[in-house]
Amino acid sequence: MADMADIPHLLLVDDERSIREPLAQYLTKQGFRVTQAGDAEGARARLAAYAIDLAILDIMMPGEDGLSLCRHIRETGDTPVILLTARSEETDRIVGLEMGADDYVVKPFSPRELLARIKVILRRVAAGGVRQHAPDAGAYAFAGWVLKTGERALVDREGVSVPLSTGEYNLLHALVTRPRQVLTRDQLLDLTQGREAAAFDRAIDNQVSRLRKKIEADPRNPALIKTVWGGGYTLASEVTRL
Amino acid sequence: MTSAAAARRGGWPRSLSGQIALLVALALLVAQLINFGLLWRERREARFAQVTVPAITRIVDAAERLAAGRGAMLERQRPRGRVRLISVNPVPTGLPRAADVETGIAAGLAEAGVEHGAIVSGIRRFDPDDPRLTAMRPRRAERLANLGGELVVAVELPGRGWLTLRAPWPRSERALIARLIAQTLILYAVVLLPVLWIGRRVTRPLAELTERARSFAPGSTPEPMPERGPPDVRALIGAYNGLSERVTAMLDEKDRMLGAIGHDLRTPLAALRVRIESVDDDTDRTRMADIIEDMNRMLEDILSLARLGRPSEAATETDLGALVDAVVEDFRDLGHDVRFDEPPRIAMRVRPTLMRRAVRNLIENAVKYAGAAEVEIIAAAGRVAIEIGDRGPGLPDDRLEAMFDPFVRHEGSRNRDTGGIGLGLALTRAIVRDAGGGVTLANRDGGGLVARIELPRG
Repeated sequence: MADMADIPHLLLVDDERSIREPLAQYLTKQGFRVTQAGDAEGARARLAAYAIDLAILDIMMPGEDGLSLCRHIRETGDTPVILLTARSEETDRIVGLEMGADDYVVKPFSPRELLARIKVILRRVAAGGVRQHAPDAGAYAFAGWVLKTGERALVDREGVSVPLSTGEYNLLHALVTRPRQVLTRDQLLDLTQGREAAAFDRAIDNQVSRLRKKIEADPRNPALIKTVWGGGYTLASEVTRL
Repeated sequence: MTSAAAARRGGWPRSLSGQIALLVALALLVAQLINFGLLWRERREARFAQVTVPAITRIVDAAERLAAGRGAMLERQRPRGRVRLISVNPVPTGLPRAADVETGIAAGLAEAGVEHGAIVSGIRRFDPDDPRLTAMRPRRAERLANLGGELVVAVELPGRGWLTLRAPWPRSERALIARLIAQTLILYAVVLLPVLWIGRRVTRPLAELTERARSFAPGSTPEPMPERGPPDVRALIGAYNGLSERVTAMLDEKDRMLGAIGHDLRTPLAALRVRIESVDDDTDRTRMADIIEDMNRMLEDILSLARLGRPSEAATETDLGALVDAVVEDFRDLGHDVRFDEPPRIAMRVRPTLMRRAVRNLIENAVKYAGAAEVEIIAAAGRVAIEIGDRGPGLPDDRLEAMFDPFVRHEGSRNRDTGGIGLGLALTRAIVRDAGGGVTLANRDGGGLVARIELPRG
């Protein structure tokens, strides 16, 4: 117990005791220190009282809701946030990410999945890596294309939207949010699997070649998604957040 | 009345105001024709009394006098209005004949016992430049010119020559017809324009109302339609506005209720999902997780189906080829065998997330029941078909249509292994219908099923 400070401290906020308590129990078992709150007010008090490493917030709560609490956390500090949402509607996802949440899970979720995401975020924070909490833009424009995060679609010059598969979308999202950075296959795998762990075991190279077919003028001689010899891939284009 | 013209089929106006106008026009025309007939008869009678009878009397009279040897003065008479005796037939051939005059003279002569030869008559147009006119007093000349015709009658008296009479003949038919046409046109202008105006006043709000009712989408809350037109139409518009308001309110209520149900059911499911993590037996835990996942998907499907009446997603110009490709790719990522060739680019307006779901449900069925799927897009002029085929066991033909009904599943497949509660196809059909298309299932030659989504292309 001498290493209390080394144990990540999680704040779990949910008005539903039937979810909060077993979840807290599970996470404690997994080696976290878990503080619980039943509403936003309690959460604010605990945020002030403890050094919280990560907050897990239920969106739908009576009184002040999770989104508003998330905004408060973002305004006052750097604490990463995972949102628990009861709805899978796209609007919630976008709004949540615009509020500065680092990630979200849709109820009912597997505690293991939540655990995996907690670990990814904590690892990223520990490594001082790129924080995801910078509000995700609704759309990114690059080289005549627009990637819409809400609809998970690319919009071409003529305004026609080109739907992407989950894998393609995740990969392209990883690239447009880090333009001109070289991303290794492992990094890309990590970035793209963080979100939709379900559907993704095909090689990154395969996804890249599919994406190139869709967005490159000449897929055999790519000008946008460039292969970096011995390294990985990079998006060779300016990206504008819209 | 361009809309009425557009609605024509076989020259018959189909719009209300067009039909009313046509009916009124026909009724007016019939009335005018009866009018014309009466007038015509009256004119004929008047002409008979004023022209025909005097002409007959004079000819017969002259013939009688001649027969009695008192005809010497006839040769000296003035050419008009009086009877003359000349040596040749003065009636040019080719003129229309006045049959009643001829028969009248024949009868009169026979009665008087005068012997006669041929009786000829002719009606000649009175040329306005006729030299005789200039010799007359102006008023008389004008009257004559207005009448427009001249009757020439000649009776051959054997051995004496031709007894001839010229008399003004009213050529009134043309004038009458011209007058009738003018009258009818004036009537049309006076009656039909107001009829059309009234018709438009009624039918324009009706057309707008029809359009509104047709395009009534419960998702959108349009402004209530302004009440205009005659009171009956206003009342109808008001009633429609009230109706759409109530429907919208009911749907809102339904949405709120479904949202609440969804939330309330998901919470215990989520709690259960968290709790089963403490089950030590891996097989047991996985099975429980699967059941919870199944229940959650059913809940999702029910909610989606119920919400489809008010789709929250807007239709956007989307490449349908890429859309199907993206769905297929997701299945391949999960390790399923789905064949699909490089799709053509087909830009059309759809709700992308919903359409993805429609296609996904069909591929999911093929993968579930046959282990593999073949997907094809067939683009034709005006429509696009997406075909999802499999080589599974297929279905009895009489069950195919029923598969689209909610909660219907093929007999024998209602077990936990295949999951679902039979909402997939119902959802697909609802989504495709919302997009203006249709979806069908059919057994394939050589075994298996093919599901076909047909979409219209604007």
